[in-house]
Amino acid sequence: MENENEIVENLNKFLKEGLVKATVPRPRRIFVYVKKDALRDAVKHLTKDLEFKHMSTVTGVDLGEKIEVIYHLAHKGSIVASIRLSVSKKNPSVPTVTDLVPGAVLYEREVHDLFGVNFKGHPDLSPLMLPEGWPKGVYPLRKEHELERLREMTSKK
Amino acid sequence: MSYGSTIKVPFGPQHPALKEPENFLFEVDGEIVVDVKPRIGYNHRGIEKAFELRTYMQNIYLAERICGICSDAHTTCYTQAIEELLGVEAPPRAKYIRVIIAELERIQSHALWVGIAAHEIGFDTLFMYVWRDRETTLDMFEMITGNRIHYAMNTIGGVRRDIHADMVPKIRNGLDFLEKRLRYYLNAVQTEQTILKRAAGVGILKSKDAVDLCAVGPTLRASGIMNDVRVDDPYVAYDEIPFQVIVRDGCDVLARILVRCEEMLESIEIMRYALDSMPGGIVKVKAPMKVPQGEVVSRVEAPRGELIHYAKSNGTTKPERYKVRSPTLGNIPALCKMLLGGYVADIPIVLAGIDPCFACMDRMAFVDAKKNKKWNWTMQQLRRKYAKK
Repeated sequence: MENENEIVENLNKFLKEGLVKATVPRPRRIFVYVKKDALRDAVKHLTKDLEFKHMSTVTGVDLGEKIEVIYHLAHKGSIVASIRLSVSKKNPSVPTVTDLVPGAVLYEREVHDLFGVNFKGHPDLSPLMLPEGWPKGVYPLRKEHELERLREMTSKK
Repeated sequence: MSYGSTIKVPFGPQHPALKEPENFLFEVDGEIVVDVKPRIGYNHRGIEKAFELRTYMQNIYLAERICGICSDAHTTCYTQAIEELLGVEAPPRAKYIRVIIAELERIQSHALWVGIAAHEIGFDTLFMYVWRDRETTLDMFEMITGNRIHYAMNTIGGVRRDIHADMVPKIRNGLDFLEKRLRYYLNAVQTEQTILKRAAGVGILKSKDAVDLCAVGPTLRASGIMNDVRVDDPYVAYDEIPFQVIVRDGCDVLARILVRCEEMLESIEIMRYALDSMPGGIVKVKAPMKVPQGEVVSRVEAPRGELIHYAKSNGTTKPERYKVRSPTLGNIPALCKMLLGGYVADIPIVLAGIDPCFACMDRMAFVDAKKNKKWNWTMQQLRRKYAKK
């Protein structure tokens, strides 16, 4: 399957109501909005059946009330499908995909460090990027943490 | 030989084998590595947060400074992302100039790496020879861009400087010299026992593991997987330029050395082709300051592999979110796999084998207040300095 629209159609059939929306903004780019329950099915289907074997990265985005998590998967290095879902900021939890894509281990940890998203089932969510002694519950890439405040917090020592 | 009990050995953040601060915790059983735990983040500069606080124009210079070695790959990725959001396209001549700079950067970066790899296996003569020849690329950069590092060629809507007719013969001379030297090194790498003994069969990464662990770039191609963003997801002018993707199936450090040496020769061919067929015309179009709402995923084949940027704009002059994933982070899981089961003595060369660039990898969290000061130019100052043309 080499065509973006065919892939979208295939995902539509496979995920049914698990798929919220899918767009093709330009050749070789697909954005797929899924429900939380459908995330693992979507990633499994893309990696195992549709040759999207390479996970480029996982991106976190602060949407205000919610946090969006985007998984960028590449089709034999060519088409990039961005699977995305949003979770509430109060209790952001997403099932891990590390058992399906072992290469996602560090990417999920990075999003956990910087956005506080809890990847359920991840083998090791200990800090990867933030320094030791970093205050608990402060996720620097969330919008409520302004740069000045973060700077004050770390310069106290 | 197994001793039945293991010892934990911290490696870094300060270690002679690492050129930048990073920490790996090794668990060793005798001389054999049985577990590796990476701990990164010693180079965090808060660049992703800083992107959100600066205008798109200022961010070009910030993207340039994500990495000192592959700065052009980052700005290419950044500018093409913003151009896509704006609906602006760089002129054809600018695209060719971007290719020329990108390939020259690849030669520079790979040559730097061959030198480091030689140093890690104790072959300092090769290190000094390669770095001497690498100066040729830096001199060419100085001539074309005015800078030896941080070339600052890319801008939103094109490139900042043209390649003039009198530069072309000088570039060609430089390429001829490099080609001669690189052929010599390629031969040396394949026949010199010092290298073969230390690199062949060391740091094995099987093809299946490379794919599963999402390795990128020369590391992936040295494990027999054909994958190159320049071909798969062509950007700038790569769809108009014929070239070969170098693949080796050795799966070891030797294959990684050979892939990079051959890629440098291929880059020379790409540069020659680009110089021959470079179209005329302007090198820059005007781009608006405000970027309409939207989002874009931008990819580039940096010297170390696939580089991916994600940008989200909100209709103002500053981005809502800017994400950078450098190739080194993508290669860390694969690196841990290569080290497992290997000898402690091979750690430095296997580590160097992925061509790690930790400054690229660690980006977020904080901005150095002193460095930040240099950056906080007013828009007027910036405009005065850079937007004249």
